[in-house]
Amino acid sequence: MRLRAKLAYTAAGLTLLAALLVPFLLMGLFTRTFAAMDLHVDEMYSGGPTVRTVQSGAYSIAIHRPVYPHMLQNERPFVQLDWKPVSALPGRVSDVVDIDGDGRPDVRVSFEAPKDPKTPLRVNVEPLSLRYEAMRNVGKEQYSRLIVRVDDAILIRVPLANQ
Amino acid sequence: MATNVRLPRTVSPAPRTIGRSLLLTSPIIVWSILMFANPNTQGDRRSQIAGAITAVFMIALFFMMMRTGTTYRCRRLFFVSLGILFPVGFIHNVIAARGTMGIPIEEMIAGRTPFCFMPIPLLILPAAFTRTLVFPGSILPNGGMSGGGMAAMVGIWLAITLVIGKGWCSYACFFGGIEEGIAALPKRAKIRKIDVRWRYGPWAVLLAMVLLSLALFEPAYCMWLCPFKAVSEYVAARNTVGLVQNGIFVTLFAGLVIVLPLLTKKRTQCSIFCPFGAFQSIFNKTSIFEVKIDQTRCQPCVLCQNACPNMSLSRESIARGETLMSCMKCGACVDVCPRQAVVWHIKGTEVAVKPERARLMFLYAAWAMAVMFGGSIIAQGLTTILHFLA
Amino acid sequence: MAASVQFGEALVLGLASGPACIAACGPVIVPSLLTERAGLQANAQFLLVFLGARLVGYLLFAIGAWELGALASMLPGSRMLMSGVIYVMLACSLIWYAYSARRMCSPSCSGSRLVNIGETKSRGAGGASVLGLLTGFSLCPPFVVAGIRAAQLSSVAQAVLFFSIFFVGTSVWFVPLAGLSCVTRNEAVVTVARIAMVLIAIYYGSMGIVMMLGGKGNGH
Repeated sequence: MRLRAKLAYTAAGLTLLAALLVPFLLMGLFTRTFAAMDLHVDEMYSGGPTVRTVQSGAYSIAIHRPVYPHMLQNERPFVQLDWKPVSALPGRVSDVVDIDGDGRPDVRVSFEAPKDPKTPLRVNVEPLSLRYEAMRNVGKEQYSRLIVRVDDAILIRVPLANQ
Repeated sequence: MATNVRLPRTVSPAPRTIGRSLLLTSPIIVWSILMFANPNTQGDRRSQIAGAITAVFMIALFFMMMRTGTTYRCRRLFFVSLGILFPVGFIHNVIAARGTMGIPIEEMIAGRTPFCFMPIPLLILPAAFTRTLVFPGSILPNGGMSGGGMAAMVGIWLAITLVIGKGWCSYACFFGGIEEGIAALPKRAKIRKIDVRWRYGPWAVLLAMVLLSLALFEPAYCMWLCPFKAVSEYVAARNTVGLVQNGIFVTLFAGLVIVLPLLTKKRTQCSIFCPFGAFQSIFNKTSIFEVKIDQTRCQPCVLCQNACPNMSLSRESIARGETLMSCMKCGACVDVCPRQAVVWHIKGTEVAVKPERARLMFLYAAWAMAVMFGGSIIAQGLTTILHFLA
Repeated sequence: MAASVQFGEALVLGLASGPACIAACGPVIVPSLLTERAGLQANAQFLLVFLGARLVGYLLFAIGAWELGALASMLPGSRMLMSGVIYVMLACSLIWYAYSARRMCSPSCSGSRLVNIGETKSRGAGGASVLGLLTGFSLCPPFVVAGIRAAQLSSVAQAVLFFSIFFVGTSVWFVPLAGLSCVTRNEAVVTVARIAMVLIAIYYGSMGIVMMLGGKGNGH
């Protein structure tokens, strides 16, 4: 058999070996490699990492890093605030939040925390600084401007004002 | 080959004996037991039964492929089963988890959108430029419908593609079986002449979707064009544009997956539209297995070209003795050739010298992947059916 | 000193915005280039005409922004309407361009070099300039930022110069697109590019209509 054919059959044999190794080695190897690649899900979906948590009695307010859309995304920059756990929230929540941690209040957020998770949520965001926009009864039409319940937290995304 | 040898008018593969067929099937028997004897399902009787049925099914199909010496029909039976049972299991899980096939924004924010392989080519450029994955899922498992996470799907896709190249489209894709089954229903095609330029459609869709995904920072194909949202899940419409998007996928599913396969007996979504298929075609260049045409036996009757469900043969390619880059290695052309001129081939070896060896090596690799991946999906679908029957 | 700082700012803004400009213009320019003749000269010529028309679009907008006052021309409502109109015009231009590219395969595409047809040359210049002009008007966010900044300058000449330098910064990123000249132009490539242009045109046209009707730009 010519050398080229021998090499070809060797390659085919190695491919068969690779097939055997897929569920025991290769799949896990590729999965771990991809997971280790320093990629992250677009913050427009994930809301960005949490930078501070403010404790308010039995519940806490997680403040995320502001998310700026990539240049051609049709969304506004926003900051996400999480109230959790929902079970510890009073029936009506009204909190003044210092988002950027400068000691000055930035927004006043008011919403009803219904027990039934299917009840539509409504929020009133009153900006106390020029950096943030007002929101009222906004629902969940846009990623950059919404109030939703996700698991045991109520998430509010407050758009940053045009500067 | 001597030119004065007269070939019989048609040549069919000689069936193997049962004993020899069983011997050749034995590696797949061992593999199937390994894959389906899963200690995690020991307590779940339905899963055990479904796994056993699936293992027997896959072993039986492989046995028939060995016995008859043909590939296409048995592979198609597996593939159609996969195409039918995937939505059974998936839609059941989706509705059990959230009560609707529509993905609410809460699930997208929570990173629990299941990730299928279709958006993979669309994510590459945005990830290369910004290290951002423009898909509302999770890289690792995250509960709910996130499944194994994006990393797991990328891992399994890469591993299977490394082994069988674009054979993914015939042995792993859990969407293609629907239209392949529908294309098999009519006896004859009502539309026989298809403009060959439609074959470039998947590349055009791939180019457009890759560019738009980079421009918009979203998985443009998933948002706008994927017809298989009709049998899996879709973004719940929250405005007019969302309604338009949902209307588009329903229309595309009806047209490309049901109506056109019935009229043409071709896998029309795959052959004229699917951008992932175009992307997978690239990996046919790296795959060691291919289909070739022995020019000494071929009398261009173009039966192979007519039989190909993916329009991967043309008169020019037949004259060159090869299939086009889009070949899915389904085996239809090989089985239909009356002169056994179309053969399985290992790159670097001589064409039509021991083609059965090439076929066996390819089928062991491909069927191992089919049992591992497609078989697990079939088993999940059967488990769902047993859940409702019990 | 103040002037050099401002224009340095324009260059840096342009360079930083370049990837976004490539991403925004990519759906228009890549398929268009693929329907042009192969060869560095033809592709470079197309790119130059496209970029030149894009610059004209930028400068016209810069003058308008300075004359009208930045804020008025940047109001979200009027910006949305203008974007919608431009998107619809861009869609029509792409469809026309894809249709006219059918001559690229006449008389034969079987060779690796296309026959040099007289109409091809004039189609290239006219089409490239229309596409470049419309892309220049497309009001992508970096363009808007540069517009606001330019409108704050003390004279229209300064605004034009600011925009020109911003444009040079963004255009640097377009140079690698000339590498598409290496792609063989045959029936497959041209057909793929034409179909892609139609698909992209359908997207832009739909979005343009939605914007003109005052809706949100995407289905999210």
